[in-house]
Amino acid sequence: MIISPEVLTIYIIDAIFILFASVAFVISVRIVKNYDVNATTALQYELEKKSYLVATIIRCLFYIKVPFFLFFIFILNNISFVLPGAMCGAGVVNSSSAAVPLLFLKLLNSYLFAYWILLDKDDMSIESQPYIKQKFFLYLLFYLLLITEIYLEFSMFLNIDITSVVDCCGVIFSHTDGSYMAQFFGLPASFYITLFYGNFALLLLSYLVKSRYIFALLNLIFVIVALLSLIAFFGIYIYELPTHHCPFCLLQSEYNYVGYVLYSLLFLGTFNGVVIGLHLFSVDVQKEKMRYSLIFLMLYVSTISYYFLGYYLKNSVWL
Amino acid sequence: MIELKNVSKEYEGGVKALNRVSLKFTEGEVVVLKGMSGSGKSSILSLIAGLCKPTEGEVVVDGKHISKLADHFATSFRRENIGMIFQKYNLIVDLSVQENILLPLVPLNLKNDELEKRLNRELERSNLVSKKDIQVKKLSGGEQQRCAIARANSNNPKIILADEPTANLDEKLSLEFIASLCEMKRENRTIIIATHDPLFFDLDFVDRIVEVGYGKIV
Ligand SMILES: Nc1ncnc2c1ncn2[C@@H]1O[C@H](COP(=O)(O)OP(=O)(O)OP(=O)(O)O)[C@@H](O)[C@H]1O
Ligand SMILES: [Mg+2]
Repeated sequence: MIISPEVLTIYIIDAIFILFASVAFVISVRIVKNYDVNATTALQYELEKKSYLVATIIRCLFYIKVPFFLFFIFILNNISFVLPGAMCGAGVVNSSSAAVPLLFLKLLNSYLFAYWILLDKDDMSIESQPYIKQKFFLYLLFYLLLITEIYLEFSMFLNIDITSVVDCCGVIFSHTDGSYMAQFFGLPASFYITLFYGNFALLLLSYLVKSRYIFALLNLIFVIVALLSLIAFFGIYIYELPTHHCPFCLLQSEYNYVGYVLYSLLFLGTFNGVVIGLHLFSVDVQKEKMRYSLIFLMLYVSTISYYFLGYYLKNSVWL
Repeated sequence: MIELKNVSKEYEGGVKALNRVSLKFTEGEVVVLKGMSGSGKSSILSLIAGLCKPTEGEVVVDGKHISKLADHFATSFRRENIGMIFQKYNLIVDLSVQENILLPLVPLNLKNDELEKRLNRELERSNLVSKKDIQVKKLSGGEQQRCAIARANSNNPKIILADEPTANLDEKLSLEFIASLCEMKRENRTIIIATHDPLFFDLDFVDRIVEVGYGKIV
């Protein structure tokens, strides 16, 4: 178990989350069950009024959740300083079985809540509120995911054993041992370059074609491709070390916190791209989202390329 | 034009201001709502304006189910269709007369010459041309009420709602106010006045007097 002011902050914010999310959940159940657009009963008016309250709660949860995610990553890095053996967040993540699912769930939930907010905005912009039942039904599902996330978060911090020695990222993302990781890192540079830039080129093409499903799908694939190629290939140009594969160290001050920039650009870009496949927005909004997606991803690709090409220009060799 | 169907309104704390009220107003009609203090007159006006929601029942204004609209839709509907006049004028006292009159037009994004046209029309009609740059707080009560009417009229609303409009005016000013209502009636606006001022009870241009008592139509 680990207790520090930061971890306590997480516990307290989580408790507040549970409280408000549960209030919203209970009201959402009533809305899903009893809401009837055409009714003029006292119950209906009450539900209409409460639906605004719940939507506000959910929006607030999201607006706290996003910076809170960054805070969480920041804390993982901080804990690594007290955990024997760990050099960065990777060691902390590896020390608890709850951590990897937690990270993925946090990412998924951020996407889902952001999607919810866009759905809500669209719903509120039409007088008849056509998505009202759909959005509160979705929230019921998202609530379960949120509670799972909070459960995992608690169990992760409770299970970290600060007396036992953990692996550092150099071991976890090792180049040499016989693990599947090693094979994966052993793939030639041309493979990653083709995959990464090829995926991005297809994205640009699908923007010109303006097919929302293809664009969304390519964005979804791009999240995975970008993360894998970052860990396996592009990261070594940020660290300037051919054996250093780690998604966490680049969040540290030695690397100017560039990880926060990269991950923010990647997730903002792909979210705007993926969401247009999930929901049919008006033509203008859809175009705007596509443009946002491309702008963020172009910045991501440029930043990555800056490290990658910059290294070559400086040193005239590839790693 | 305006219809209340079985409308009840209960405020927080359990005050039942209206109890299953049904009322209809046709286009161009002038109706006076009278009744004791606390009988629910202002509540009826608020419901028609979409300023609050009924507890039960439905309010339909010009085909729009205003009681079912989300706040931001009710607000824009009100802005385009309803002019309101209050006992306390509800003007912004630090702004000038012309600024108050122009205020409801800001969100409509009108061209400058249209704004000018409407402003001059209302200033002339309310006889406030010479006061247009004076802060509202420096005006007399009668002038303030005329300014409030000018503001209510500036967006050409089909419906005028007046809540105790003459409560702060002496008889001469009240009669002046009534004359301006008569003019609005000629423009075929629907006018609903909540009042207990007896001056309103035998006017030719009033089509109907509705008595409200204890949340019911008497
Ligand atoms: N916002 C409010 N919150 C709680 N109770 C209210 C509210 N507005 C009105 N009421 C109550 O509802 C009842 C009806 O009020 P309303 O203002 O409609 O009456 P009224 O006929 O306009 O009275 P008056 O002639 O004095 O203006 C009153 O008992 C009043 O106290
Ligand atoms: Mg009143």
